[in-house]
Order: sequence, then structure tokens, then C-alpha cells
Amino acid sequence: MSMSDKDDAGEGLDVFFEAARCQVPAPSPDLLARVLADADVAQQAHSAAFAAAPRQGIGPRLYRLLGGWPAMAGLATAALTGIWIGTALPEGLIGTAEAAYLVDITPEMAFDLAGGDF
Amino acid sequence: MPFDAHDDVPDEALLVLFANGDGAAARVLTLRLTPRVMAHAYRLLGNRAEAEDVAQEAMLRLWKQAPDWRQGEAKVTTWLYRVVANLCIDRLRRARGGAVALDAIPEPADGRASAVEQLQERARAEALQAALDTLPERQRQAVVLRHIEGLANPEIAEIMEITIEAVESLTSRGKRALSAALAGRQEELGYVDER
Repeated sequence: MSMSDKDDAGEGLDVFFEAARCQVPAPSPDLLARVLADADVAQQAHSAAFAAAPRQGIGPRLYRLLGGWPAMAGLATAALTGIWIGTALPEGLIGTAEAAYLVDITPEMAFDLAGGDF
Repeated sequence: MPFDAHDDVPDEALLVLFANGDGAAARVLTLRLTPRVMAHAYRLLGNRAEAEDVAQEAMLRLWKQAPDWRQGEAKVTTWLYRVVANLCIDRLRRARGGAVALDAIPEPADGRASAVEQLQERARAEALQAALDTLPERQRQAVVLRHIEGLANPEIAEIMEITIEAVESLTSRGKRALSAALAGRQEELGYVDER
């Protein structure tokens, strides 16, 4: 029986595949040594990279968590604006007439802060 | 940890140990995987020296990948077969000046098997290798993975990133081409007498 007429998809090749499986081209000792040397270098590089990674304190981590410098710039601007409004707003802007319209929306808090004795 | 304590550990777990600095894991992975990588590269390239270079490069890529290896996504061997195939295909295409293999299958180069006639099995293996070398790259890869490495079609499909049907088509065409390429050498290789 010929190889080609046994099976049109080439099943007669089994004897060749079996021979190929038995004739495994083994790696040379030199190749194994080179692969192991590469592994050693790679492991040292991993260790060095891990050791070199900066160990950050709570401040830098919070800084990154909040979004870095853009977020910090926004926060700083808002904080400075608040301080400026609180300290530099001219008293004359709120005259007695306007002050009459100021409404205390939390009178109970004023009551608590005063000790609640009245 | 003793060297042989890792013998039953899966490749994926060994790779994690390797990434954590375990030297024994490196040795076990090297001895376990390099022969497979080397054999696969040789079967795709048909050249031992080039296969060794590819094997070293593939293993180096594995070492570099180890810290970022994502568990459960793929088997280490599946990943390696893919890397080896890509490296081999790059080399084959460079050697051909970028030309893609044709589907026409010429006869294997004369004399490759006859040079080792004294060992019939070796002659068959060499004849098969010579025939494999004439196949288009993807057919060769599929046939080697299925019929020599003994992998199942779903894993081959994952390695080659194609459908199972495409794997079946490639292996079928590849085997037909091999049969045609080896048809004239049956008597020389003792094939007719044994069947």
C-alpha cells in the first residue's frame, strides 16, 4: 500500500511523525548554560528594579491619590482665595443696611455654641 | 529549597517563584522548557544553530516577562510556542528577503536523508524535516504542533490565534503536501516494506 493512496489527508505519514518524535534535537549543554545565565541576569535585574522602587511616605502617596500637581494647584488656589476673602474683604462692602438682611440660618447652632443656658 | 522539590510544580507557579528570585525555579524551568523550545524551533527552521539562537531568545523573553506574568491567562508552553513560531517566521522571512512561502510544494532537497541512511529512523526524521521545510510557514507550524508536539486543536488554535477550523484546514493541507513530497522516497526509507 502506498502512502498516498491510503489516505488523502496523509495518515500514512504516521511513521515519519513517530520517527521525528524519537529524533528530538536536544539542546546542547552550552545552550542550557546560556539560558541559565540569562535567567540569572534577569533575576538580578528584577531584584534591582524592586529595590530601586521608591518607598513613598503618606504625603507623596496622598499627593498622587488626589491627582498630582493639577489637583494640588486647584486646591491651593481655592484655599488662598478663601483666606483672601476672609481677611481682606473690606468691611465697608457690608453696610448696616445690608447687614440687616443677613439671616442666620442656623440659630440653633448659635444656641449650642453659647452653652445652651438660655 | 531543594532542586527536585520543584519537579511537580506547574510551569506557571514556577514562573512566579522565578520572579520572586528563586534560583531553583530558574533551573527547573530551564531544564523543562528549553528542550521543548529547542525542538520546536528546529522543526520550524530545520537548522540546529538557528534553532538554538531562537530557543535562547524565547527563554530570555520568558524571563523578562516573568514579573508581569498574568496567572490564568495562558499556559507558559502555549505562550512559548507562539513566541518561538514568531521568531522562526521572522528568521525565515528575512532569509527569503521578505518573500512569503508559496503554496506550491517542491520535492525535498536531494541527499538530505541519504546522508544518514545507516539509521533508518533518523533518515525518516530527516526526510520529514526536509519536507516540512518546504511547507508554507503556517502549514508547517500547524502540522508540527498537531502531529509531532501532539497538541490538541484548541490549544493550537490559541497558539496560532486562529479558529479550530482553520487549524484543521492547515493540518490537512500540510499533510497532503507532505505525502506528496515524500511519495517518491518510500522505498528508500523502508516505508513500503514495513506497512
